[in-house]
Amino acid sequence: MIEPSLALYGDAFERVDRHLEELLAATGVRYCLLVDRKGFVLSHKEALWAPRPPALDSVATLVASNAAATAALANMLGERTFSEQTHQGENGTLYVESVGDSALLTLIFDGSVPLGRVKVQTKKAIAGLAAILKELQDAPPVQLGEDFSHGATALLDDLFG
Amino acid sequence: MSTINFAAREINCKIVYYGPGMSGKTTNLKHVFSKVPAQLRGEMVSLATEDERTLFFDFLPLDLGSVQGFKTRFHLYTVPGQVFYNASRKLILRGVDGIVFVADSAPNRLRANAESMRNLRENLAEHGIDVREVPIVLQVNKRDVEGALPTEMIRAVIDPKKELTLFEATAHNGGGVFETLKSVSRLVLDRLAQNK
Repeated sequence: MIEPSLALYGDAFERVDRHLEELLAATGVRYCLLVDRKGFVLSHKEALWAPRPPALDSVATLVASNAAATAALANMLGERTFSEQTHQGENGTLYVESVGDSALLTLIFDGSVPLGRVKVQTKKAIAGLAAILKELQDAPPVQLGEDFSHGATALLDDLFG
Repeated sequence: MSTINFAAREINCKIVYYGPGMSGKTTNLKHVFSKVPAQLRGEMVSLATEDERTLFFDFLPLDLGSVQGFKTRFHLYTVPGQVFYNASRKLILRGVDGIVFVADSAPNRLRANAESMRNLRENLAEHGIDVREVPIVLQVNKRDVEGALPTEMIRAVIDPKKELTLFEATAHNGGGVFETLKSVSRLVLDRLAQNK
């Protein structure tokens, strides 16, 4: 295992969801994603008024790769990591902040949202999220077993012939 | 280790195509992208230079379907093969669940194959994993190139102990692409079932 892996389920997942919803309401951002460092979307919320989001898989992958690249830069400069990043365009902003060592909180918003408010609210949300993710690290590993193996083989035969 | 999302009942696995520059990693992904039905795949992201050499990575999400009620998704990545891009190549290996090593059959690329395999071992070791811990499948690509070296000769250089499954391929017309992907998928899912 190269990166810490996360299994987000049940009660923990719902609590993460609630944090994201609160953050969405408090800041007025369009989209809010929790992405793991490998580029997988763990959870996402979008504002009801917002237009359809871009492909979230692509966003997550690029955010995670970007964070990995800047972390490598940070190491070269003698830092452990850069914990927050803001990418500001003409109309929109992408704001990324680390949640512990295993996840990234990503917010996408337009010019009507003040960056200061986003920063303050994000810091609050992260404290809650980091605690949930930390609990998960001690959770027992998932058992999939023999049936899963058979099912997977059948699936691959179906798909690839 | 794969990311398992219980609430959404999703299992996510990361497969990386590795190999020397120009060996056909991106071509493999492009073929998968073009042949898989649109509802099973996401958008392909390519970060490439103007002459279409991969600069950072290519990315393709793929839905396999449901196993035991778990939606199983694979994320396919390629690395930039050129020697001087090792810093970004190393980043892409983070969290890898399975690797396809794409070797080039051209006679003047034998050494490049060997160097790339050594580089893979070194990069994995830096992340603290043994090559034997992660499923790897070999693909000897460009079998139709003029003066293509015998497969066994290429294998002798990159896999002298003959431990890995090997496929011959001509990725530009799709030969061997899905066989390779199926084989690595199987190894990854088998490992998942063994809870390693």
